[in-house]
Amino acid sequence: MKNEISLQTRREFLRQTVLGSALSWTVPAFLANTFSALHSQAADSATQIVTGKDSTILVVLQMAGGNDGINTVVPFTNDFYHKARPTLGLHAGKVLPLNEQVGLHGAMKGFKELYDAGQLSVIQGVGYPNPNRSHFRSTEIWQTASDSNRVEKHGWIGRYFDAACAGADPAVGVTIGSQLPQAFFAAQPKGIVFNNPQNYRFMSNGGSTEESYKKLNELEMSSPLAEENSGGSIGMLPAGMPMTGGRAVDFVSRTALDAQHSSDEVRAIAARVQNQAEYPGSQLGTSLKLVAKLIGGGLPTRIYYVSQGGYDTHTNQLGSQQRLLGDLADSVKSFVDDMKAQGNLSRVLVMTFSEFGRRVSENANGGTDHGAAAPMFIVGNKVKAGLLGQYPSLAPADLFQGDIKYNVDFRSAYAGVLEHWLKTKSEPILGKRFPPLPVV
Amino acid sequence: MLKPLSSDRWNYAAAAHLLNRAGFGGPPAEIQMLADLGLDKAVAFLVDYETIPDPTTNPDWAKPNPEEIVKYRAAIKNGTPEEKKQAQREQQQLFQRRMLELRGWWLQRMMHGPRPFQEKMVLFWHGHFATSIEKVKNPYFMWRQNELFRRLATENWQHLLTEAGKDPAMLIWLDQGQSRKDHPNENFAREVMELFALGEGHYTEHDIAEAARALTGWSMNPEEQKFIFRARIHDEGAKTFLGRTGNFDGDEVIQIIVAQPQAARFITAKLWNYFAGQVPSEELSETLAASFRAHGNNFKPFLREMFRSEEFFHDAVMRNQVKSPVQWLVGSVRVLECQLPPPLISWGMLRQLGQDLFAPPNVKGWDGGVTWITTNTLLTRYNDAQSLVEGTVPPFGAGDLAKKPGGQGGMKLEKAMQRIRLGGVNVEKILTPEERADKHAIVTALERRLFQATLSHDQQQTLRDFLEAKTKMSNADIVTTIRLMMSTPDYQVT
Repeated sequence: MKNEISLQTRREFLRQTVLGSALSWTVPAFLANTFSALHSQAADSATQIVTGKDSTILVVLQMAGGNDGINTVVPFTNDFYHKARPTLGLHAGKVLPLNEQVGLHGAMKGFKELYDAGQLSVIQGVGYPNPNRSHFRSTEIWQTASDSNRVEKHGWIGRYFDAACAGADPAVGVTIGSQLPQAFFAAQPKGIVFNNPQNYRFMSNGGSTEESYKKLNELEMSSPLAEENSGGSIGMLPAGMPMTGGRAVDFVSRTALDAQHSSDEVRAIAARVQNQAEYPGSQLGTSLKLVAKLIGGGLPTRIYYVSQGGYDTHTNQLGSQQRLLGDLADSVKSFVDDMKAQGNLSRVLVMTFSEFGRRVSENANGGTDHGAAAPMFIVGNKVKAGLLGQYPSLAPADLFQGDIKYNVDFRSAYAGVLEHWLKTKSEPILGKRFPPLPVV
Repeated sequence: MLKPLSSDRWNYAAAAHLLNRAGFGGPPAEIQMLADLGLDKAVAFLVDYETIPDPTTNPDWAKPNPEEIVKYRAAIKNGTPEEKKQAQREQQQLFQRRMLELRGWWLQRMMHGPRPFQEKMVLFWHGHFATSIEKVKNPYFMWRQNELFRRLATENWQHLLTEAGKDPAMLIWLDQGQSRKDHPNENFAREVMELFALGEGHYTEHDIAEAARALTGWSMNPEEQKFIFRARIHDEGAKTFLGRTGNFDGDEVIQIIVAQPQAARFITAKLWNYFAGQVPSEELSETLAASFRAHGNNFKPFLREMFRSEEFFHDAVMRNQVKSPVQWLVGSVRVLECQLPPPLISWGMLRQLGQDLFAPPNVKGWDGGVTWITTNTLLTRYNDAQSLVEGTVPPFGAGDLAKKPGGQGGMKLEKAMQRIRLGGVNVEKILTPEERADKHAIVTALERRLFQATLSHDQQQTLRDFLEAKTKMSNADIVTTIRLMMSTPDYQVT
């Protein structure tokens, strides 16, 4: 592998010449990261070093469309519930009881097993003040962790990368899908996106085209690196932080080397690692299957993002939600089994969210309309298992415009995950202080 | 005062820079034509576009059609669950088709239209006012707003800002249409100051509340699908806004905003960033703002002065801007003198590259600059380059294009994609027989066409080696060379 050698040589070159001088944005992130790993004591303490072997990992699972939380974590003994839902209401035989009052939807056997094993935490009544019922806007609010009357352009995951993962490998965030979710938008965008690892590459029939592409994208060693003054030490700057003032083409060159490096790595892992559990053939199952491979292969990723669509159940909800929740529970259970078999379960946390819950009263078409608060699930063997928060009251007098009121701000859940799982300060990322929920 | 560029600095590279930034670039003959005109005439050729006839016809559905809206609304409201579902699906598919047509229509204007600078400004205003079909949900309104930007592209700022505020798509996008005196909605009042005209820190929360009161009454007439002022819901009381007190209405609010000294600084800095690719220094920003004010807050004379300035041709400006996805796509097709891919493919490419026209990510629009480039979007550019030059369908499945995962339309798109054939690049059209006979000349000619600049010696050598290794070089090898040139960091900037 000719390219391996030249990368190695460049690494050596950079080690000898750049150490002791300020990092330019012409240094590819993965090389810069190597330096910060070498100099971890000196590096800015806010910067997290991702090795792919021992850091904690968060898997964010989006249930797109607005999942009916009330028929997911079901208050099956509540009279208000059955009054509001004469046809959709689930009775004792159709739920998997968690206690005397609430149970999981009957299709969620996988989640019940996780719950019984102490690996599932159910946060009840999660939402935010002044809820918005538009899919578009409410998704944006969850993705950016903004107040409902403020617009943020960057996402909460992107801000985490900006604050804590400067200089990290671009694969620090991985989305299985076709587009980068807004949660990843950042001042220094990071994260890679693919449905199929085979598409995350320079496409060619190999041979001299591929070789020429690699050569054309080699870093030009003539420019700023050599001119950099060598006054400061690497520890004085957040490692690998793109500098301002460089030329645009230098930034692109750096990204080009990152792309080459990470696409080779992703494809090699996907080809090498075997799954150790059976997954449903659904889109979500396939996505989690791929995530498991990438974790098993040691990709230096802190956050994976997967999604499952179809929750916008305005009509004939019973059948479609049954199918979706079954798929969710089965897919996540398979993923947990796979992580356990890999020996990585204690490093991984899965967190679900949906842009809103649904109206308490069913509509005339056997469905439910857009609502407000809903539960979130957190899965892993370090979670604080059980029911967290209070189930919101369903008494008509307690509702706001037909919706239950939230008890837990979703940003408290984010804060809990950031502080207790990713071990970083949540305030700079969320913009203000939200009491971190003790999720683990 | 901006310094005028001295005439001895006007040459082919400068003409290319002007055409790339004020338009979408072009083949060597077009650049040469501008170079021969001289700076002033070249700028006039682009900026004084009114004299150039534009024969583009509008989509046939681009007119008010309230009956259609009423028809679907009735079916969705009163029908049986089956009829309701049917009507929803029908309307959704109809609107998706129209949006696809609209995207293709606009890209064709950028590509072939006789007024590239006008389209470049329309693209600026679209990014600035950042209105999305995701909320507006009506293709006619999106087209109408696009036409508004075209009509007032280089007009007066107060006029444009007022008209943009009264535009139906904007009335929906920022909820102004729902604002009434007993319950004013602050969304538009906030964003008109924060995002459109002043920037954060140049107004207070109280100013927002007062502006929201003044703006009540700006509403929509659904029968005619256009703006209407409704006196009944307008707050007639006195308001104190940005230090002035009076019974202001919406028009006066806009007038007061645009009269703030900060307003000229804000919009000219954004224009400078769009055309020059940099955030201006404080000093330059003041100069730009002064020029804009001296030109009566009219964009055309201001931009004419900007395009003729030494500052615009500074080393730090030239070839130092990351191409936006639209610039990349339209510019590539223009320099290669090939066909724009069909709307479905163009749309797919732009979505994957991060610039879905008519669907900016949020009210703040696209970040632009280096944020266009991630490892993903860069590899996608390299691979889309292959599709453009070879005429192959790019490697994204139709499923990726369907809006919701598992949503309808995936299969239909898949079938449509299989039927699509793209043109690809014709090397006999863009290289002379003499050039094609000489491997050295091929690289030199393509360099001039694609970059209007030179690559590094190593890169040139790599390309020549690639061709030298072919014992019997074919046109396909030249096509691959073009793709390789487009698969460089250097091609991503302009």
